[in-house]
Amino acid sequence: MDEKREQMDWVAAVEVAGEKPPEVPPHGPVVWARENLFSSVGSGILTAAGLLVALVFFKAMLGYIFGADRKWDAVATNLRLYFTQAYPDDQYVRVWVAVGIALALTGLSAAIWRASGRVNGYKLGGWSFGVAGGLLTMLVLSPFSWGARLIYLILALVFVGTGQYLRMSHPKIEVPALSVVVGVLAVLVGSLWVVPYGRHTFVNGEVQPPRPGTVAMTTKLPWTVMLLVMVVAYFVGKAVRDKVSPGLSKGLLVAGWMLLVPFDYFVILRDPALDYGQVFRVDVPIFLFFAVVGSALLWWLSDPERGEIGRVVAGLMVIGAGVFWLAAAFGLSVRQIIRIDLLLLSVVAVAAPTFTGEKAVRRRFILGWLILLALVNYMAMMVNTDSTVEVPGSFPLGGFSLTLLVATSVLLMSFPIGLILALGRTSKMPIFRLLSTTYIEVIRGVPLITILIFFKIILNLFLPDGMSLGNEMSAILGYALFSAAYLAENVRGGLQSIRKGQYEAANALGMSTAQTTSFIVLPQALRAVVPPLVGGVIATFKETSLLFIIGLFDFLRIGYVVVGGQTAFVGSQRENLLFVAFIYWIITFSISRSSVQLEKKLGLGER
Amino acid sequence: MTGLEARADMIVCEGVKKWFGDFQALRGIDMTVEEREVVVVLGPSGSGKSTLIRCINRLEVHQEGRIIVDGVELTNDLRNIEKIRSEVGMVFQQFNLFPHLTIMDNITLAPIWVRKKPREEAETLAMELLDRVGIPEQADKYPGQLSGGQQQRVAIARALAMEPRVMLFDEPTSALDPEMIKEVLDVMKELAQTGMTMIVVTHEMGFAREVADRIIFMESGEIVEEGTPEHFFTNPTEDRTKLFLSQIL
Ligand SMILES: Nc1ncnc2c1ncn2[C@@H]1O[C@H](COP(=O)(O)OP(=O)(O)OP(=O)(O)O)[C@@H](O)[C@H]1O
Ligand SMILES: [Mg+2]
Repeated sequence: MDEKREQMDWVAAVEVAGEKPPEVPPHGPVVWARENLFSSVGSGILTAAGLLVALVFFKAMLGYIFGADRKWDAVATNLRLYFTQAYPDDQYVRVWVAVGIALALTGLSAAIWRASGRVNGYKLGGWSFGVAGGLLTMLVLSPFSWGARLIYLILALVFVGTGQYLRMSHPKIEVPALSVVVGVLAVLVGSLWVVPYGRHTFVNGEVQPPRPGTVAMTTKLPWTVMLLVMVVAYFVGKAVRDKVSPGLSKGLLVAGWMLLVPFDYFVILRDPALDYGQVFRVDVPIFLFFAVVGSALLWWLSDPERGEIGRVVAGLMVIGAGVFWLAAAFGLSVRQIIRIDLLLLSVVAVAAPTFTGEKAVRRRFILGWLILLALVNYMAMMVNTDSTVEVPGSFPLGGFSLTLLVATSVLLMSFPIGLILALGRTSKMPIFRLLSTTYIEVIRGVPLITILIFFKIILNLFLPDGMSLGNEMSAILGYALFSAAYLAENVRGGLQSIRKGQYEAANALGMSTAQTTSFIVLPQALRAVVPPLVGGVIATFKETSLLFIIGLFDFLRIGYVVVGGQTAFVGSQRENLLFVAFIYWIITFSISRSSVQLEKKLGLGER
Repeated sequence: MTGLEARADMIVCEGVKKWFGDFQALRGIDMTVEEREVVVVLGPSGSGKSTLIRCINRLEVHQEGRIIVDGVELTNDLRNIEKIRSEVGMVFQQFNLFPHLTIMDNITLAPIWVRKKPREEAETLAMELLDRVGIPEQADKYPGQLSGGQQQRVAIARALAMEPRVMLFDEPTSALDPEMIKEVLDVMKELAQTGMTMIVVTHEMGFAREVADRIIFMESGEIVEEGTPEHFFTNPTEDRTKLFLSQIL
């Protein structure tokens, strides 16, 4: 705060004096180097030594990557295996639809959240120089043919020229950062159509000799469509964003992101075989029953005049729903969905008196209930319907798509569990505190791999007859329960950073514990722990590679075992591992970069 | 006000005692505050002033005696506590605004969720209150972007938005730079003139002399002396009061 005030004072002072701050003249690389690298004899020596080490390292690395006997064909030929394992070719459009939905959400989100970062010409020029520098380094250090070196040289000169032009002629123009990103993507996708990357394919399990030319139509066309989908979604978002209330559109998008993974997997990629007779005989009536009865009940409960009797009824419902679940263990057989809906309704009923108010709010609350109910019933129906995608194993996905599915499902599931654990551990009620603390400390004391193996071997023994979770699903469940414990500890740190005055102020205003927690405490606590939460996300993503050990076909296994073991590519394990590592790095690096942006954005309104 | 009309008792404390562990912070407080009365509580540091007013809206729990607010006795019954809290506004020394919410949201949050008011109505009221405390133009800013005096005025507006029957102030100007104290005191004076029942803990003697209907002097968890400002500042009876006044004036 003080800093900000100081800044403002400073601005005010300048305005009064009618003077502009002195402009720092843009100085060239020589000045920069003198100031930063060779400011003294000591630092000069250190810089030179560092450069030498970097030189040796990069020469060795580039020499390895571009060595004549490297088998990058193994990667190029197996890209599809890497990303979706054995997903059938004739169904492959489903994969693109799944990716397309994600990209459409990305485009919409960029529009609705007004991604408004801008870069000026000076900075763009700098980036251009950077690319040129990279290209020149490669051309000098890599074992390229002279022809290839010439191409690199020309490219580097183009970038130097562009950089110089931007810096000299348009240092002040401002370009939306989004346009720069889309521009770069467009160049990359466009290059698929013109640059002869070569064609590497399998035909009936036989590796074909690489053919010259651009990549196959089944690669370049979908990627082009994907880019268009994202851009079109952005403009759609831009067109509607002023017509829809920001609260609504943001809420819908957040819901969309949360549903993305289950929807993509269960509905699109699994291609469940719905039996419509069954749907209309059973699923729809159950939904309608809960929709009508639930809405009426919630309307009654959420009346501000209802008073104590409402809480009693809601409490009884929770107990009733719990008994219903317990009864299942003693042989009362009811459709699972009825039990789930009942539990859902009772939880929503408990929240009703706290989170509703006058008529408009109550109507929105009921609408929320209907949407939630519809989504849960729809997803449950899809999950319970068998997949029609024919793959060799039992699971439709493998490779990177499995890694991504596991990581995102784990994150989605562990977040609510972690929140509840953190709240439990800091709660005033000893029983919650004891349960949460025990859970967290037990889980944190056990290695992840142990839990994964335990879930793979033991979990299915505990499930009721006829029900079984595949290896993949057990792994997701075990991993989510594991992550939740760590997440809870991170969130607890945030909860402890909330000052006592915040609780007192909320209490003094008559807010209930639930209201204080959800409007005052959690929003601030989560904001405070964004950096460790992002650290957790990155760790979760990377550690999915432990699935390798319990025998699942994750990204690492595909690279190390499957591709590395193909007869056509014997001895290509190092190339494959490098590729796998590179992709992991790209993803985690992007996450940590975007978290920096997120922190900046969240920091805005605060303090 | 004629002084003859019968006023209802707004707050009644009877033999209120409070311990923190073995330490007794309140040693039997008997006190009655009538409707529309402004009571200023004075006393040296650690005398139990904060503890007393925090007991009145149950931020602290007293162990013995009775506290009755607007006819409702404070017990462990949750419903009573919520009812009393929404009728008793409190302003803290450290403002305690919600830093992640705009000024508007700070003020409307409780009316919407506790009082169940429609948002539009709550926002209209909030703007009126911001007008009243003199900062209508700050509605969309965040607390961190306001000066201390402005923040404290927002805190007053936030408490008033619940339309309380009583306002408690715990040293509302002690965390402020001298040049901002007056703007907050002015708001409080104006509030006193509108007939709000107020209990104010403060070290601002000028305010006490000018605005208070009654002054209560506390020491070591007891009420030592009480009376009109005139009585209190010109001829206090108790030695302890005299000593306190000689130190502070
Ligand atoms: N939460 C607590 N735990 C233990 N002791 C406390 C607690 N709160 C207050 N006390 C003690 O109770 C006594 C009265 O405290 P209180 O805050 O009411 O004093 P005060 O009159 O408001 O003083 P000040 O003018 O410094 O604010 C003090 O001795 C203090 O140390
Ligand atoms: Mg105090």
